[in-house]
Amino acid sequence: MRQSYKIAIVFLIVMGFFPLFSNSSWLAVGTTFLIYSVVAFSQDIILGRAGAFQMGHALFFGLGAYATAILNVHFGVPIIYTFIPAILIPLIMAIVLAGPIIHLKGDYLLVATIGFNIIFIQVIQNDVFGLTGGPNGIFGIDVVRIFGVEFMSQTAIYYMSFILLTLTLLIMRNLDASKYGRAMFYINKDDIAAQSMGINVRYYKLYAFALGSAIAGAAGSMFAIQYSAVSPEAFNVVQSIMFFTIVLVGGSASLPGVLIGTFVMFVLPEIFREFATARYLVFGLAMILTMILRPRGIWPVKFGNIPNYLKKDTK
Amino acid sequence: MDIFLQQLINGLTVGSLYALVALGYTMVYGVMKLINFAHGDLVALSAFAGLTIYVEIFGEGKNSLFVVLSVFVITALIIAFVGVLLERLAYRPLRTAPRLSAVVSALGASLVIQNSIMLIWGPNMKIFPSNLFPSTIWTLHGVVFTFTQVMIMGISALLMVGLYIFINKTKMGTAIRATAIDQDAAKLMGINVNRVIMTIFIIGSALGAVAGLFIGINYRGITFDMGWMYGLNAFVAAIMGGIGNIPGAMLGGILLGLFNAMISGYISSEWAETFTFVLLVVILIFRPTGILGETIAEKV
Repeated sequence: MRQSYKIAIVFLIVMGFFPLFSNSSWLAVGTTFLIYSVVAFSQDIILGRAGAFQMGHALFFGLGAYATAILNVHFGVPIIYTFIPAILIPLIMAIVLAGPIIHLKGDYLLVATIGFNIIFIQVIQNDVFGLTGGPNGIFGIDVVRIFGVEFMSQTAIYYMSFILLTLTLLIMRNLDASKYGRAMFYINKDDIAAQSMGINVRYYKLYAFALGSAIAGAAGSMFAIQYSAVSPEAFNVVQSIMFFTIVLVGGSASLPGVLIGTFVMFVLPEIFREFATARYLVFGLAMILTMILRPRGIWPVKFGNIPNYLKKDTK
Repeated sequence: MDIFLQQLINGLTVGSLYALVALGYTMVYGVMKLINFAHGDLVALSAFAGLTIYVEIFGEGKNSLFVVLSVFVITALIIAFVGVLLERLAYRPLRTAPRLSAVVSALGASLVIQNSIMLIWGPNMKIFPSNLFPSTIWTLHGVVFTFTQVMIMGISALLMVGLYIFINKTKMGTAIRATAIDQDAAKLMGINVNRVIMTIFIIGSALGAVAGLFIGINYRGITFDMGWMYGLNAFVAAIMGGIGNIPGAMLGGILLGLFNAMISGYISSEWAETFTFVLLVVILIFRPTGILGETIAEKV
């Protein structure tokens, strides 16, 4: 795991100096990259570490974004205070929604979480209680103000996202070093064995769900600040599939893998804008090819020096 | 009462379509333990391919039995071929890989098919000609039946009975059931697993193709991304019936169709998907193996 610390530090240094060398449009791309990396890492906690097949992650990302947008636009709450509900609401919803179905076997959980995401989109599109703005979403989200100072430049938003990503990486580092991280890893490898060793599988999976969703909610809040608007398309199932794919194409539980995945899925399209129509076709082909050539992802995680004869792929 | 009977007819129609599509999912899942996310897109592809074959080869306006039958057969053959190709290129190399790799590959295949349709036929809605089937309408106690609806229910029922007989009475059907139970043991018994899987993809894709054409003929408007929603509904139907279980997929499809129609008729069509997934979650909580699924002790 030492290697991933080094990569994380190099990455943070590069991203920390990135605004000095880029114009404002690239800075916006960089901010988007940072926000989506946070979401991808939070998906990685659930899918890559705890091994729960979550394909509705955009739901929690969206809950955070809509919490900030609704509280700010409809109730005039300053952005800085909306961070708290933007983290707590996804956290509570994750426990409420995933609680009853967390015991389901992989594919069933996958379809149920897709279902939650679809229900969420339908709820916001049908403009429940006149709060969500229907298909158009919510516009005119305020800028962040702390003690009267306005943080509205792209650089300021970039550094806020940067701090969020740094915090996320710290949380993941602590998670990996803790009892919780080890339990999740064990559950991922073999949940029946984990259970017979006395690990409360349900508890740790839910823990992963709640933690991942809370982080995604914080990223959602950042997303609302960056675009000063939220709309349903940013949180639909296609986005969830993107997050799911990022983790698996990059490499489950692998820091460089998730970063590469995010870069490929969200930054490359910005660079190759002229191929916009064929973009998803190329993505699809790339997904198939990556999985055939590197079934464990582009940059799979390595755990210590396991002898080759013990490295048998578990299903 | 009228609204109930009318929605019953509509529900049975859409339910038959879900059942046809669900069979493709459930057979693939039964044997390969893989959600074939690209299956719904094959259904959409079939509608587009069928439309092109009809308009380009036979010419619009012709609707003799021979023409209609040829459109169905040619489309089904093409889609079956695409299905086999899909399995060869996207799934076979991943048969021994971790489970999730195949899921990602399936999602990729879905994107490829969906966007190929968009690039070939364009992003706008295409309209099926209305005269492929006679536009006869019967009215019975205020309930309206169209010829198309009757055909959909009748032909779907025939195909399903045929499939049931094929799976339960023929040698290949026995091989399919054996492979679904235990692939390795089936291999040891001399079953050619590759051929079983190919057969499944041929049958599943052909049934999906028939469903795709029916969707085009009945609802007329077809879009490149419609496969995703039909596929998801059909997959939900397969889970409701008990995934891997063929009569279960038929039952699940019909029940989901009826449920959808009743929700649209009595509550609101805007919330139809929400109700579908709430029903799914309720079923998964109380009966995770589906209505007809058997509880199998998990092998360690």
